[in-house]
Amino acid sequence: MDGFSYSDIFATKGIEYLIIITFLVLLIPFWVVLNKQVEIKSKIQKALGFLSASILKIPQGLYYSKNHTWMYMEKTGNARIGLDDLLLHITGEVKFIVNKKPGDTINKGDLLTEIDQNGKLLRLYSPVSGKIMDTNNMIQKTPGILNEDPYGKGWIYKIKPSNWIAEVKSCYFAEEATNWSSAELERFKDFLAISMKNYSPEPSMLILQDGGEICDHSLSALPNEIWRDFEAEFLNLNR
Amino acid sequence: MSNNQQIALDNDGNSIWKFLVSEMKPRGKWFTPFNIISVPIILLGLALIVIRFWKGLGEVSNVTQEVPWGLWKGFNVVTGVAFAGGAYVLTFMVYILNMRKYHSIIRVTVLNGFLAYAFYAGALVLDLGRPWHIFNPIIGNSFGASSVLFLVAWHFLLYMVAQLIEFSPTIAEWLGVRRAHKILSGMTMAAVIFGITLSMLHQSGLGALFLMAREKIHPLWYNEFIPVMFLVSSIFAGLSMVIFEGSISDRVFFDQISEKNKKAQNGIIRGLSKICAGTMFAYFFLQLLVFIHGQHWDLLNTGMGHWFLLEMLGFVLFPMILFFISYRNNNITMIKIAALLTMIGVIMNRLNVSIIGFRWDAAVRYVPSWMEVVVALAVIFTQIWIFRWVINRMPVLRDSPSWAIEHE
Repeated sequence: MDGFSYSDIFATKGIEYLIIITFLVLLIPFWVVLNKQVEIKSKIQKALGFLSASILKIPQGLYYSKNHTWMYMEKTGNARIGLDDLLLHITGEVKFIVNKKPGDTINKGDLLTEIDQNGKLLRLYSPVSGKIMDTNNMIQKTPGILNEDPYGKGWIYKIKPSNWIAEVKSCYFAEEATNWSSAELERFKDFLAISMKNYSPEPSMLILQDGGEICDHSLSALPNEIWRDFEAEFLNLNR
Repeated sequence: MSNNQQIALDNDGNSIWKFLVSEMKPRGKWFTPFNIISVPIILLGLALIVIRFWKGLGEVSNVTQEVPWGLWKGFNVVTGVAFAGGAYVLTFMVYILNMRKYHSIIRVTVLNGFLAYAFYAGALVLDLGRPWHIFNPIIGNSFGASSVLFLVAWHFLLYMVAQLIEFSPTIAEWLGVRRAHKILSGMTMAAVIFGITLSMLHQSGLGALFLMAREKIHPLWYNEFIPVMFLVSSIFAGLSMVIFEGSISDRVFFDQISEKNKKAQNGIIRGLSKICAGTMFAYFFLQLLVFIHGQHWDLLNTGMGHWFLLEMLGFVLFPMILFFISYRNNNITMIKIAALLTMIGVIMNRLNVSIIGFRWDAAVRYVPSWMEVVVALAVIFTQIWIFRWVINRMPVLRDSPSWAIEHE
C-alpha cells in the first residue's frame, strides 16, 4: 500500500463516515427488496383467485340493496352506506368520486357516487333518502381499504335517513342476502357470456364454457361498453 | 396427553403431592438415541463435578491464573446466555408490539430461556474458586458495587425471577390451581417489561466484562463496542435458536402441537428469518465500522485475521444473505440451515472473545481438558432433559386447559 495514503481520511474518520453512508444507502434497497415478496405473493394470489360464492363476505346484520350497496343503522340513528363485496370482487380496485358533501340531502334513486377505474365509470344510486352527515376520507387516500374491508373501514357515507323503515323493506337481509348474492353471481356469469359475445368476436377467455368459475376482478380487463351494460343490468334500482 | 390434562383439570381437592409424585415417573421409551448418548455423559459429568468440588478446580480444569475463564464460562455462560436472548426478543414482539402470530411459541421460548439461565449461569458456580462467594453480591457481605460482575449477578438473578413469573401460569395450569393462575397471569406484563429491560442491560453487560481485559483479547475482537455487539448479536442468536429449537420440537413433540399451531409454524419461522436478516445486516455493518475504527488492516493477513474473516464473512454475511434469499423464496429448509450457520457463527464469536482470542499471544495456550468438555456437555444435556420433562407434562406446546383460556 506504499504510495497510497489513506491516513488522512482515517484521521478525519472519513472512511467511517463513508461506511455509515454506504450502510444507509444499502439499507433502503435491502428493506424494499426484503418486503417486496409479500406484495408479489398477494398479486399471484389475486391472479389465481377465482370468484365463487364461498369467498364472498356477507355479514348477516346488514341490509343489502338491489344495486349492490349495503346499509347499516348505527346507534346514533345514522345509517352507514357502502358497496358490497360482490361488486368489489367483480370490479377490482376502484377510485371514488364523491359528489356529496355533509349537509346535502339525497333521495332514493338519486346519484349517490361514481366509482372509477382508469376512466371506466359506474354510477351508483342511493338506496335510501336522507341527509348526508359524513363522508369517509380514508377511501380517498387509500382506495385499497375498500376491497379489504368493504363493510367496516370501507364505508362511504353516513346518512340520516328520513324514510328508513319503508325503504329497507325492499332490501335483502340475513340468509336472504346470502342467497341473493349467490344468485347475482350466477347472473353475472351469464351476463359476461352474453356481453362478451356482443362486443368481442373472440371466444371468451374469461369464462370456462362449462359455466365454471370466473376470475376475480373479471370486469377490470373488459372494455367500457361492458361496464355500461353491467351498470344497467346490476346497479339499476328500478329493475 | 389428554389424560394428563384431565389430571390437571380435576386437581382441585385432590392431593397435590400424589399428583406430583405421579408426574415424577418417567414416560416414554428409555432407549432413544438421545438418551443413549446423554445419560453416560451426564453421569460422567456428575462424577467430575464431585471431583471438582472435592479436590479443587485444578484437578478437572486447565484454567490458570493467566486464563481464569475456561470453557464453562466461555461456552456455557457467555454463549448460552446469547442463545437465551430469544426470550426477551419474542416477549417484546408478542406483549409489547402485540404480534399475536408469535404467541404460540412464547411459552417454549421463555422456558428455554429460563432453563438456559438457570443452568448456564449455574455453570458459573463450577468455575468459581470459592463458589460459596457467589452470594456475596446479593447478600451484601461484599457487594462489589463497582464491578461489572455486580451488575451481571443482579441482572441474572432478577431476570431469572422475571422469567419464572412469565412462565408461572403454565405451571399453575399444570397443577390445576386456578386462583394462583389468575394472579400469576396478571403479573405477566410487568414481568415482561422488567425482563426486557434487564435482558438488554445484561446482554451488553456480559460484553462489558471483557472491556476489562483490553490487553488480553486479540485486537481484532477487542474493541470498546463489545457490549453493543453482544446486545445486537443476541437478537439474531436468540431467534436462530428459536428457529432451530422449534424445528426439533416439531418432530419430537409433534403430538402435542395443535393443528392450528402446526400450520402457523412456517409463517413464524419466516417472520423470524426476516428479523434475523435485518439485524444481521446491521450487525455486519457495525462490525465493519468497528474494524475500520480499530485500524487493524495489517492483522487481516495473519492466521487470526483469516479466522476473523471466516467468522464475519462465512458466519455472519453468508447466513444473512441466506436468510434474506430464503425469506423471499419462502424456503423453510434454507431458513433452518441459515439459523444453524448463524448459531455456529455466534458460538465462534463468543469463543473468540472469551477463549480463542483471549491471551492468543501466550506461550502456553489454554486448551480445555477433556473433563471440562464432558462437564460442559453434561450441563447442556441436563438442561435438555429438564426441558423435555417440562414439555411432556406442562401445557407448553399444547393448548392450555379451557378454564385457563378464560383468564386471558
